[in-house]
Amino acid sequence: MNIEISNLQFTYPSGVQALFGVSLNIKAGEQVAIVGQNGAGKTTLVKHLNGLLQPTSGYVRIEDWDTKEHSVSKIARRVGYVFQNPDEQLFSKNVGTEVAFGPKNLGYTSEQIQALVKDALEMTELSDKTETNPYDLSPTWRKMVAIASIIAMDTPIVIFDEPTTGQDAANIARIANVIKVLRERGKTVITITHDIDFCAENFERVIAMSQGKILLDGKANDVLGQDEILSTTFVDPPQLTRLGKRLGFEQTVRNQAEFLAALKK
Amino acid sequence: MAPCCACGHHADSKNMAIINLQNVTYKYPLTDAPALQNVNLQVNEGEFVAVIGPNGAGKSTLCYTIAGFVPHFFKGEITGSVEVAGNESSKSSLHEWVLNVGLAFQNPFNQISGAKYTVFEEIAFGLENIGVPREEMRSRVEEALKLTGISDLADRSPYSLSGGQQQRVALTSILVMQPKVLILDEPTSQMDPIGTREVFSVIRKLSETGITVVMVEHKVEWIAEFADKVVALHDGSVLLEGNPQEVLTSDLLTDKGFGISRYTSVARKAQELGIWKKDKLPVTLDEAVEGFKR
Amino acid sequence: MHERLSYYVKRDSALHRLNPLTKFILALSIIFISIFSPWYWTAPILFLLVIVPLCFVGRVSREFFTSAIRLILPAAGFIFFMQAFFQPGGETVIFKFWFLDVTQESLAFAFRISVRIAVMISAFTLLLMTTHPSELMSDLTRRGLPGQFAYVIISTLQILPQMQAKAQTIINAQRSRGLDTQSSFIKRAGSLIPLVGPLVFGSLVEVEERAIAIEARGFTSTHVKTSLHDVPDTSADKVIRWLLVALVVITLILKIWLS
Repeated sequence: MNIEISNLQFTYPSGVQALFGVSLNIKAGEQVAIVGQNGAGKTTLVKHLNGLLQPTSGYVRIEDWDTKEHSVSKIARRVGYVFQNPDEQLFSKNVGTEVAFGPKNLGYTSEQIQALVKDALEMTELSDKTETNPYDLSPTWRKMVAIASIIAMDTPIVIFDEPTTGQDAANIARIANVIKVLRERGKTVITITHDIDFCAENFERVIAMSQGKILLDGKANDVLGQDEILSTTFVDPPQLTRLGKRLGFEQTVRNQAEFLAALKK
Repeated sequence: MAPCCACGHHADSKNMAIINLQNVTYKYPLTDAPALQNVNLQVNEGEFVAVIGPNGAGKSTLCYTIAGFVPHFFKGEITGSVEVAGNESSKSSLHEWVLNVGLAFQNPFNQISGAKYTVFEEIAFGLENIGVPREEMRSRVEEALKLTGISDLADRSPYSLSGGQQQRVALTSILVMQPKVLILDEPTSQMDPIGTREVFSVIRKLSETGITVVMVEHKVEWIAEFADKVVALHDGSVLLEGNPQEVLTSDLLTDKGFGISRYTSVARKAQELGIWKKDKLPVTLDEAVEGFKR
Repeated sequence: MHERLSYYVKRDSALHRLNPLTKFILALSIIFISIFSPWYWTAPILFLLVIVPLCFVGRVSREFFTSAIRLILPAAGFIFFMQAFFQPGGETVIFKFWFLDVTQESLAFAFRISVRIAVMISAFTLLLMTTHPSELMSDLTRRGLPGQFAYVIISTLQILPQMQAKAQTIINAQRSRGLDTQSSFIKRAGSLIPLVGPLVFGSLVEVEERAIAIEARGFTSTHVKTSLHDVPDTSADKVIRWLLVALVVITLILKIWLS
């Protein structure tokens, strides 16, 4: 499913304008990371994708649906949104029921729901915790439950809002793996993140925002190499990119493989 | 540590451990597995110790233990001895403990008392509780505000601030109590990069004033710059302890699923391929640059 | 976003400068006198000749009248209506509506009750508008109110609006999982748990952390607490308080004597 955003302007009821004419297209299956300082408008932009916010002017289309014409719960069929704080959505008596909540709301049959839940739990390494109460799990695993709950909805587009904040290396690796599987299945994955290394290693396209506008939008290697522009929105380049620059590499590298390849030259 | 003389006093009190945990094992109430197992940890006055480990390793429990909340707030079963800044686990109450040991944790929002309407009053809250006279209160609060660089926020409501600002307010509220030991449990994990920088620069300044700092942190690149010592915790026990270089480049870390800096991991890979010639692996950017330049 | 729940209006006035306990007793006395006075005209006189002038003394007239239109008049009006139509036992029927009788007695009763309600609400509104909640709590604590009690009240005033914001986020999160919040009532009743559950559980986690945070700042210390701000209690305050108590006592005596 393609996403089309055209000249999106948004002003909060308080009068503060958060988006000043954002236009962008995301094709089905793309992996996009959105970076930029707090207040740049990243979350505001992304909340338009599932209808939580409506444009003050301009439009947002998820394939053939204009978000102004459909409710959030309906758009949830096409766009899954993983919120930052899992404690803001967990309520069920066990993990299995929690993860089934989304697909149930979307109207899948019980067999479909069972299969979707099983698949989502496997992807998030929660299969052995199906009967556990989510609040008996550590915050690390509660995060995975939140992610599983959205994956089980099997939406063509999945949005992650700051997925790695507060997570340890092992969980970040799990989350990266989930994103990899989603990519292999052809899903569109959009993430907001402050973890620039995580961004560099898992996303092909990077959009840098600042003050309600898009500053940079392009392939990860291109965007992440532009230090001066990124620094205006308080984004530091990834560790290996910085290292590569200091060593005088011509090309911008963004992960270990590229770094070692460039080193050999 | 300086050797003890026959009379039992330590010869040089400056090198005496201000934090001394010996064979500490602790179990939270209603749990089966101990959260801390046989932990031995000594920290000298003025040191900056970073604690790393995967989630569930017992880092927060360790923080609570040094801060006295384990076992006095959480109850549960504890064995071994805990001595921190003159307080001893079996003898001192939590009231006495908090006078010498400050604790700040991840979520800045939950550290705001909610009882005060301005940042100035919020910071004075702790001093009101322990009965500091009004004049002294004012000057201590003003000093603390200057130390953490938030004097311009003094009249704002704590709830109107950004996460990074709130975390600095929380830190200031603890500092104003003039603790000898400061414990920070992942203070930047919920911050954006600016907030992180703000908080780290404050902590660096504090460490330079001679306060003993124990900080739990995932952001390995930052630890390498600040810490005198790194303690790696795994499954409730101390896996490794030593200076940042030794600990952060150890193979044990990667085996057990710790995060390490990309500089270290790429250099290790390069070492396998015969490209990295130096003995020691890098932890910081500068070390990595130096090592890769032929 | 609301940063706190309070009626407090920051101004400098004679009323603001009074000690919080004095204002508290003032509000209570007004209410007491209006309820226990033997003459029905006491309540409206109190409203017109005491409360309204005090608004001007306290320089909160504009805010008070806004509150009057939004809260006091509708509340009093509702009570008037209910009592006029539903108060049983009257004899002189003035007006009939369907099966309901409005009698002279019920009208008189309704008038008395609704004015008293108006006086009650106004008195407290005036108190809240001219007294900062932390000043009130600080003064009461100094006089012996348990510190924990005061803390619960003040922190609730500030944290409740935060919880409202959190509740909204939870609603959004569950809508994003397909929860339909706009459908029929029955469906909506079932969707309460996904909305209330996270709020309650999340709050429990927060409460524990906050308890640790305030403990770390000596909240349960046994030291005698000091306070940053001085809440003055002048001799004028003390005189006013005794006067008010005397008025209340006189009212009680009159009531007993005349009935």
